[in-house]
Amino acid sequence: MRGNGLAPPLLAIEGLAVSYGAVPAVDGVSLEIHPGELRVILGANGAGKTTIIKTVLGLLRPRRGRILLDGTQDLLRCRPHQIHRMGIAWVPEGRQLWSTLTVLDNLRLGGFRERDETVVARRIDEMFQRFPRLGERRNQISGSLSGGEQQMVAIARALVSGPRLLLMDEPSLGLAPLVVRDVFALVKEINAMGIAILMVEQNARQALKVADWAYLLETGRIVESGPAAEVAGKESVQAVFLGGHA
Amino acid sequence: MDLFLQQIANGLIIGSTYAVVALGFALAFSVLRVIHFAHPDVFMVGMFAGLVTAETFPFGGLALAMLGGLIGAGVLGYAIERSVIEPLRGRDVLTTLIATLGVAIMLQNGMALIVGPDPVPYPPLLPRRFLDIGPVSVTVRQAANLGICLLLLAFVSLYVRGTRIGRATRAIAERPDVAAAFGVDVARVCQVTIVVASAMAGIAAVSVGTLYGSASAFVGLLYGLKAFTCMLVAGNRYFEGVAAVAIFLGVLEALVTGYVSSSLRDAVAFLVLIGVLYFRPNGLFGSYQT
Repeated sequence: MRGNGLAPPLLAIEGLAVSYGAVPAVDGVSLEIHPGELRVILGANGAGKTTIIKTVLGLLRPRRGRILLDGTQDLLRCRPHQIHRMGIAWVPEGRQLWSTLTVLDNLRLGGFRERDETVVARRIDEMFQRFPRLGERRNQISGSLSGGEQQMVAIARALVSGPRLLLMDEPSLGLAPLVVRDVFALVKEINAMGIAILMVEQNARQALKVADWAYLLETGRIVESGPAAEVAGKESVQAVFLGGHA
Repeated sequence: MDLFLQQIANGLIIGSTYAVVALGFALAFSVLRVIHFAHPDVFMVGMFAGLVTAETFPFGGLALAMLGGLIGAGVLGYAIERSVIEPLRGRDVLTTLIATLGVAIMLQNGMALIVGPDPVPYPPLLPRRFLDIGPVSVTVRQAANLGICLLLLAFVSLYVRGTRIGRATRAIAERPDVAAAFGVDVARVCQVTIVVASAMAGIAAVSVGTLYGSASAFVGLLYGLKAFTCMLVAGNRYFEGVAAVAIFLGVLEALVTGYVSSSLRDAVAFLVLIGVLYFRPNGLFGSYQT
């Protein structure tokens, strides 16, 4: 059913090249994700993972390449707020909450694209049921929450927009091991709701457990690509990410 | 004691005016990342727009003159945003600073060409009568100025906290990229922000013109430097903080004038403000890392 070429991919990145000044960050990356899938891009610090995400969001301009939504919509012609309104939401690296705003205001801003306030209020209520701790802290300044709670706000903020595709940048970064387990369980749960997820991670062990498909990114190029179970068995991945750790 | 209360009242009146201009500065800096040195001159143009309105429609009173100030300053602010600030978006902060400084000089000298370099009389839109509130005595004009400025400050606070676009405004101030990625049209909100800042400066300017009974092409200079300093001292994390520092500055000036000497007024006030920055370099209420 996946990648059978009949339906266009939800998101297709073709020959993407991005550089910061003269320094290339991403060099000829092609990848795709289909509706309902969970795909992960593995790579070390500086491999270009965040650059890919930010380019899809319209926050960076590539030197070359194409990014197509639904096989037709060229995202490189769109500005960030227009791309978001097509159903793409972001869980940024390091959460990046609006730290002086309350939890509730962060979630309201997550629903900014939805003009019907009652829809936003209902979605926020759903989030407070799913994360009761956030409900208790709804009027607290988000900067005062713990790292794990902030990550929940970041994920809830993205979900309030009602996305088709969720871009998650290192959701486990800087969290305690127990919280990391919760986050990956939550990623799996969101995906089961039918939301496609493109996730970038350094925590290869956990990410490969939940993902359908994995890409391995090294210095701006994709060096491995395949079903997550297969990629997990590759020597290159074993050596770099899975070897030596308990 | 009576002198103390009187000077507190005088300080609140002048400080609330500084606060309106400073808040406009802070909005422009936080949201557009620009040190908008033409903002005090938008205030000045608003003052003359109110003057022209009042002289053209003598029966319109203060309200119509304020509407004139609001429109004049709002349209000018919008024009500056579209023609000078927007094309320079993403450049170094010094580039837009110099560009808006250029606009400021053009506005000051352009207005001086039209009305002359000296202050011109402002129409008496309010009576000169005194009001006695306990031991404190203020004119109707002073009371009106304080009321109008406090209302404008309250309006901005409600706007950024209670409305959808206002929340987006604060979101851009802290994280413009994240705001854009959550559907906020950053360019549009920047335009709205400048129009709001300019329009409220225009309203306050008419009130200030009425208060002092005169308008000058160079009135912006006085307010600009003080408003800019207040923004630095408060930090850009909370808009209300900027207003609080500006009001404090007004009170401090009035107390120095009353108890020490009016010639030491600015020296003492700026010394205290710079002293605050020495101990809290990110501002009294903190600043976003930008």
